[in-house]
Amino acid sequence: MSETHTAEKAPVRSGSQRFRRQRAAMFGFIAPALLVYLVMVIAPSLQSIQISLTDWDGVNDAYNYVGLSNYEDILGSERFWNAVKNTLLLGLGSAVIVNVISLAVALLLDRLNHWQGFFRTIVYLPALVSGFIAATIWKYILNFNFGVVNTTLRDAGLPTWTHDWLGDSEIVVSVLLFLLCFTLGGNTTLIYLANLQSVPQELVEAARIDGASGPQVFRFVTWPMLAGAVTVNMTLAMIAGWTIFDQILVLTSGGPGFISETMAFFIYKVGFGEYRAGYGSAAAVVLFVVVLASTVVANRYMRSREIQA
Amino acid sequence: MSATMRVTGTRRRAVAGAMTVLGAVGLTACASDAADDTAPAPDKTEIRFTYATGDESWNGAVKSVVDAYNAQSEIATVELDPLTGGTDYATAVKTMDATGNWPAVIDMRDTRTYIEAGKLAPIPEGVTALIDDAAYGPAADGSVYVVPSSALNGEVGLNIIYDKAYFAEHDLEVPATYDEFIELLEAIKANGDVPLATAAGEIWPSDQLWKPLAAPVFAEWSDKGGFWAAVQEGKASVEDLREPLDKLKHITDNFVLEGWQSTQDAQTTTLLVNHQAVMATSSAGIGRLNDIHKVAPDFEAGLFIVPDDEGHINVLKNSVNGDTLSGLSISAQAKENGAEYDAAVDFLTYFYSVEAADIIEQSGVIAPNIKLADEITRNTAIPGAEDYFALLESPELVWYQNETLSPDFSAFNTFFRQTRIEMQDGQTTIDEAIAKSQAEFDKTVGQG
Repeated sequence: MSETHTAEKAPVRSGSQRFRRQRAAMFGFIAPALLVYLVMVIAPSLQSIQISLTDWDGVNDAYNYVGLSNYEDILGSERFWNAVKNTLLLGLGSAVIVNVISLAVALLLDRLNHWQGFFRTIVYLPALVSGFIAATIWKYILNFNFGVVNTTLRDAGLPTWTHDWLGDSEIVVSVLLFLLCFTLGGNTTLIYLANLQSVPQELVEAARIDGASGPQVFRFVTWPMLAGAVTVNMTLAMIAGWTIFDQILVLTSGGPGFISETMAFFIYKVGFGEYRAGYGSAAAVVLFVVVLASTVVANRYMRSREIQA
Repeated sequence: MSATMRVTGTRRRAVAGAMTVLGAVGLTACASDAADDTAPAPDKTEIRFTYATGDESWNGAVKSVVDAYNAQSEIATVELDPLTGGTDYATAVKTMDATGNWPAVIDMRDTRTYIEAGKLAPIPEGVTALIDDAAYGPAADGSVYVVPSSALNGEVGLNIIYDKAYFAEHDLEVPATYDEFIELLEAIKANGDVPLATAAGEIWPSDQLWKPLAAPVFAEWSDKGGFWAAVQEGKASVEDLREPLDKLKHITDNFVLEGWQSTQDAQTTTLLVNHQAVMATSSAGIGRLNDIHKVAPDFEAGLFIVPDDEGHINVLKNSVNGDTLSGLSISAQAKENGAEYDAAVDFLTYFYSVEAADIIEQSGVIAPNIKLADEITRNTAIPGAEDYFALLESPELVWYQNETLSPDFSAFNTFFRQTRIEMQDGQTTIDEAIAKSQAEFDKTVGQG
């Protein structure tokens, strides 16, 4: 009996040992990357919290602790709240618009029977261009005096339609929103397309047999099945929106005045350009809290909609 | 062995072979690149010279001097390391500092911050002895850390470039007072033309129109320690700048070419040469005239500085000690490397030679103020340059000082520039701009 008991136990013990060895091996494989991530991302982020409590200029080795005065200055700064407003507008605005457009494009791509690869490539190409390069090109296109947009309008006899697209304080943020939406849709479209193609066709056919129209099929069958993709895409788009920087730096430098500054640009400006690393770090901590809070809230809502297939 | 296993094994060998070939090609390319890199002669120390790119005249002057130095130096080779000038230059320097990647010779900004942080090395007397004594100054510890990169003619380079042919055609004259300047603007506007192009696409060119207007106020405090020092002490305030702010707003609203909010500084030259504006603001001095001459040899350009109500031309004298001090420095990192320091000193010694001064002048930039200035061959061939030299000799020229000793002034100045642009753009009133600026000054500089 003891030999049987030992024989029964042996496979279980060797199985858990094998699992522990496999887990150790898996950890060994990710350890180098994890170490780099901890050293290059996590540690500096935590150090930002410490620096945010100082008056460090970013250059001198010496600094003083100033408690929460950086946070008091930031939260009382009109410039900061303007940057928060722009970040919300550009972040949420671009997330919603990009997702709507990308879903529409994905629906069209899903219906294609020919040349799918070609059109997918065309849709994805803008995502391959870095934000910095795209912004530089747009800067030339939208130049008030020499840009192709205004030159074309003037040549077409529409001089009143010309605008200082990047210098008119009334429209500059809207122009930035447009430019952001132009380049952020590639990945979003592909994620929607992949999810569309995983919607069970029997559900769609069943709905059609029951007399549902196209829009009804989308609303009651397809859209709920896309909840997971919406969660992912909206989360990624919002995070990209909160950290918008390249385009602002290239296109407007936050101007004219302070009108188009975003939180990320504000942090860069005060932290690097004005030798106020402590102040900039405090702003970065505030941005982190804002991004975390908004992403958690948005995710909770979106996840409540998801259907487990 | 099954067919599948044979195929799998063959595929693995093919992949391994391809990787080996790619790796070999990559390593060969790296080796070729390393071999192709311009390497200094075995006994020469290679050093970097980081400088802020500006107009083409300045860029050309730097390259010409460095090329000439490299051709004759037996101990060093200087490698040019240009960085985009303007607002982001400070960020680039800060990044170099954070990564421990200082060049041996650097065109410095926000110098006081770095001097106090011990990032710069003292410049030896062998170099400073070549320079005019008024063109450099010691820091608090008695050492000289910065020497001028070009002529220290103050902010004479901050001026208005104008179309001489237009002026001649319409019987217009260079204004002798501020009122005459306004009349000039009105006359050009009455002709149906745009009087003035200016730039605020980056924030630093906003000084080009502002400073001449504010200069009369700044000049009043020159003998009392400077305007901004007085504000710091509570003897003056930003409210004292109400009149120049009002003038700035009036000129912007009525006489400046549309689109100035997003216009880059270099574009104003194009706008002038294309006759889209009759005048343009500039901070490039004679270099702007040289640039115009290169792109439009037939364009007759001249320059003047906006005078005050009494006809005085108030020009800020270069700071040799304050926070706005700029010029060439040797990094402390180079000092730690003896050979790099010696190479840097040798380069600066050449930079302040008559030979180098002649090269700089030929490139369209006024050479630094060296003691042997009389031996320099000045470039008088640039059309309009006579206006520049006439300004330096003008009996109406009034030099004033406005030292900003606080290292935090740079932060306030950036904010002040943006606030002025905001006000010019009509986003805020002058009252709001003054209140905001004063509050920011009290918060950043005032506490210093």
